Amino acid sequence: MITHSDDGPEYDPDDPLTVIMRPPAEYLGAPPGRYEAIRRGASRRRMLRAAAGAAVTCGVAALIVLPLRLTASEGHGSPTVPLAPPPASSPSTPPHRPATPEPSSPDPSQDRRTAETGAAPTTTPTRRPAANDRPSPSASAAETVTRVPSMQPSAARTGTASTPSAADRRR
Amino acid sequence: MNRSREKAASELFAALYPRLAGWVRRLVDDDETAHEIASEAFTRLWARWTAVAEPRGFLYVTAANLVRDHWRKLERERRAVRRATTEAAVTPPPEQADPSVRLLVQSLPERLRVPILLHYYADMPIREVSVLTGRKEGTVKADLHTARELLRAHLRRSLDHTL
Repeated sequence: MITHSDDGPEYDPDDPLTVIMRPPAEYLGAPPGRYEAIRRGASRRRMLRAAAGAAVTCGVAALIVLPLRLTASEGHGSPTVPLAPPPASSPSTPPHRPATPEPSSPDPSQDRRTAETGAAPTTTPTRRPAANDRPSPSASAAETVTRVPSMQPSAARTGTASTPSAADRRR
Repeated sequence: MNRSREKAASELFAALYPRLAGWVRRLVDDDETAHEIASEAFTRLWARWTAVAEPRGFLYVTAANLVRDHWRKLERERRAVRRATTEAAVTPPPEQADPSVRLLVQSLPERLRVPILLHYYADMPIREVSVLTGRKEGTVKADLHTARELLRAHLRRSLDHTL
């Protein structure tokens, strides 16, 4: 593109365009108090803009934080999951499932209620099936057996099977 | 800090308001409207004082946009009145005092109007105009030249109509 000088020969004083380009000679003085009024209006507008900006920021922050907090609170509820069978004894659970359910809790509705209300009654169902299945080994023995399942498979099965079955039914 | 800013604002107002308001009055032909538009331009400037690098240019461009809005509003009102009255008793509004300046703001596209206003009405050198508009100096010169050519053509046409 060819550029042109802006004060060249094309800008002669007789040209009517010169009249347009001539800076205005007219002046219009400000009425008294106009300056203060403009300053007040400008500061009010600035404050409004700042308030609107803060409100938008808060809204966006709330929109971001609320879903995060909600998901976090749902995550806090999940610690009930540990009632599920421990992974170490998982291979022994399937064969013994049908054997344990009946004796573990005579009244399943009661069990459900207790599971809903609190964590204290959880000890009773785990003890019961162990006593019904095998009278001789104690609870501590069962615990020791679950730690080493390969050594005593039968004890491990009974010991571990009782706990998951109760937990399963509670679910 | 605050006092110096207040002083700068006061000096700017004293230096630019009368000239800006006078220029607006030539466009709208009404003192009250001219004061309103000039005041609004200053209010917008001071509402974002820190964000404006070149207040003079900002004021002229804002005022020109407000004048254009004012004309549009007048035109809408005129059309509404024309539609409402069945008689053609409504006389056309008197021609404004200086149609040439109005022509400048009205006829030029935004891209050409802004450099003309800044260079000729705000007395800004081409270098400042180029900084303010973000265009190269050569581009600004070319824009000014194109604007002048357009205005010259407009003037020629309007002179032919009057003769």
